[in-house]
Amino acid sequence: MARRLTFQEALVEAIRQEMVRDGRVFLVGQDVGAMGGALQSTKGLLPAFGPERVWDAPISEAAMAGITAGAALFGTRPILDLSFGEFLPYIMPTIVNHAALVHWGTAGRARVPLLVRTKIGDGPYRGHPQCYEAWLPHVPGLKVVMPSSAYDAKGLMLAGLRDGNIVLFLEHMYLYHSVREEVPEEEYTVPIGTAKVVREGRDVTAVATAWMVHKALAAARELAREGIELEVVDLRTLAPLDRETVLASVAKTGRLVVAHDAWRIGGFGGEVAAVVAEEGFHLLKAPIVRVGAPHVPLPVSLTLRKAMLPDARDVAGAARKVLAR
Amino acid sequence: MPLDDRDLLELHRLMVIARVLDLAAAKLYGGHFPAEGEEAVVVGSFYGLDPEDVLAPHYRGPQIVFHMRGMPLTEIFLMLLGRATSYSRGRAPAFSGPVELGFVPWMGGDLGPSIGLATGAAFALRYRRTRRVTVHAVGDGTTNRGDFHEAVNLAGLWRLPIVYVIQNNHWSISMPYSRITLAKDLADRAAGYGIPGQVVDGNDALAVHAAVQAAVARAREGLGPSLIEAKTYRLRGHWAGDPTGYRDPAEVEAWRQRDPIARHEALLAERGLLDPAAARAVWTAQEAAVQAAVATAEAAPPAGEAELGLDQVFA
Repeated sequence: MARRLTFQEALVEAIRQEMVRDGRVFLVGQDVGAMGGALQSTKGLLPAFGPERVWDAPISEAAMAGITAGAALFGTRPILDLSFGEFLPYIMPTIVNHAALVHWGTAGRARVPLLVRTKIGDGPYRGHPQCYEAWLPHVPGLKVVMPSSAYDAKGLMLAGLRDGNIVLFLEHMYLYHSVREEVPEEEYTVPIGTAKVVREGRDVTAVATAWMVHKALAAARELAREGIELEVVDLRTLAPLDRETVLASVAKTGRLVVAHDAWRIGGFGGEVAAVVAEEGFHLLKAPIVRVGAPHVPLPVSLTLRKAMLPDARDVAGAARKVLAR
Repeated sequence: MPLDDRDLLELHRLMVIARVLDLAAAKLYGGHFPAEGEEAVVVGSFYGLDPEDVLAPHYRGPQIVFHMRGMPLTEIFLMLLGRATSYSRGRAPAFSGPVELGFVPWMGGDLGPSIGLATGAAFALRYRRTRRVTVHAVGDGTTNRGDFHEAVNLAGLWRLPIVYVIQNNHWSISMPYSRITLAKDLADRAAGYGIPGQVVDGNDALAVHAAVQAAVARAREGLGPSLIEAKTYRLRGHWAGDPTGYRDPAEVEAWRQRDPIARHEALLAERGLLDPAAARAVWTAQEAAVQAAVATAEAAPPAGEAELGLDQVFA
């Protein structure tokens, strides 16, 4: 049965269902207990499962990474709730220098089934809005998931919790409590590594992630009034990248815009553009345009932030630009 | 468990193997991290544990611990040489032990994350309601990483079954202990986490073993972690090829006079368990075993493209 759930509710439901199904799953993070997680990311889990499954940790992100990755090596399936993406730097030594290498470095004898969830991006709450996702797919051994809808959030969370690898699950804060949509109550998975065409169009492909998917859809509505049909591809997973879906869309439209709210320079859009340039250059009728934030630090003031972050108009403008060439 | 005469002889045999294989490794591979002089800490800490306990030895000197868990000497040298047939197929550091033998993998070259990972192994042992413990050795230098503070604090808070042994060899590459902290004893840091801390003579295998075993017993009872600082000395360079121009040879010579194996042999002789001739026979036998292992490993094929493991990055 489908109910209308928010992104946050869908995530918590997935975790709750997996914790019921699999006793090896436990959760570690700051404020995940009595408070129910930052932005209610673990709402109701402590009352449901108790302190042996839900571990409130002090401000010690490096230790949380070590404890969850180390426990994952020895017969458990931990979830690390790393409140905010701004804290990713603190877990990088353990994850990037050690845990991500384990399956390969033991010639397949050991694995680290660890799901790290963290909140990224701007949101109504203003705090901790960093988008560091581009750092992560660069590292061999990490899966990186970044959904844009409640339906995908639940399905990808269940897939991530059943994966045998480190899955970095990036939850965009703007999406957290914003829209409700139909989410089936029963368990289902959305395969990691699959992008999705969320709007079909013949003229331009916009490949986007998370919140930017919604901005791209808004841009598509604006462009449709001008007779321009934008196809929107929701990447959903950054690593492994679904090259086929991206290339198939570019084969159809011949024009590509890549959009995310992280910085444009060194952003993941560059990788998508590179893949298309390398493998689909013959499909392109115009140069690729990347949409992303300008190369300044993220400001605190809301008006400054609005000035900095790309929006639907930027996507629409980019689409017009690739069409004009 | 108190040690009987057989244990005392076995500790000697293991320390001799540790010394002999370490010298052979240093000769074979300039990047090896020599553990000469630190055998009493390594062998004493990891001797007499349950086969199901999880081990996370320091990067300096773990090879003997691998051997104590059943890894043949040949495999140790295959790892040091990074050969195609080695455990990791030449991919991972030689100081990363096999997970199926109960070792916490150590995939990077940085110091600090091992503490969190070993603590996580202890978390899993507790979560799975076993009575097993983790023993983790770290260097004195590593105790200045934030990782140490975070992990030991959390292990105390959650009463995790882990024993932290500080293998204090007084040198962080070129920097003497006096230049990395004002703290007289690193064991004092335990007080900051509300856990027991203790200093032991790291060149006395029996003292190290007794202290670790008491802490292990405490951890098995669910009483949480302990911190043991074993003071010893790094007789060689940081790496085998390190010219060590940064320190006074007289200091090294003074510590050579306190050699942990010679000290243990004196004790065995005093108790009438091992006369000098019998001790010499142990050395000769182990030297032969190590030389055979080195020869076999050197004949093994080098790792090549087939071992790159593009298909093993993900499980």
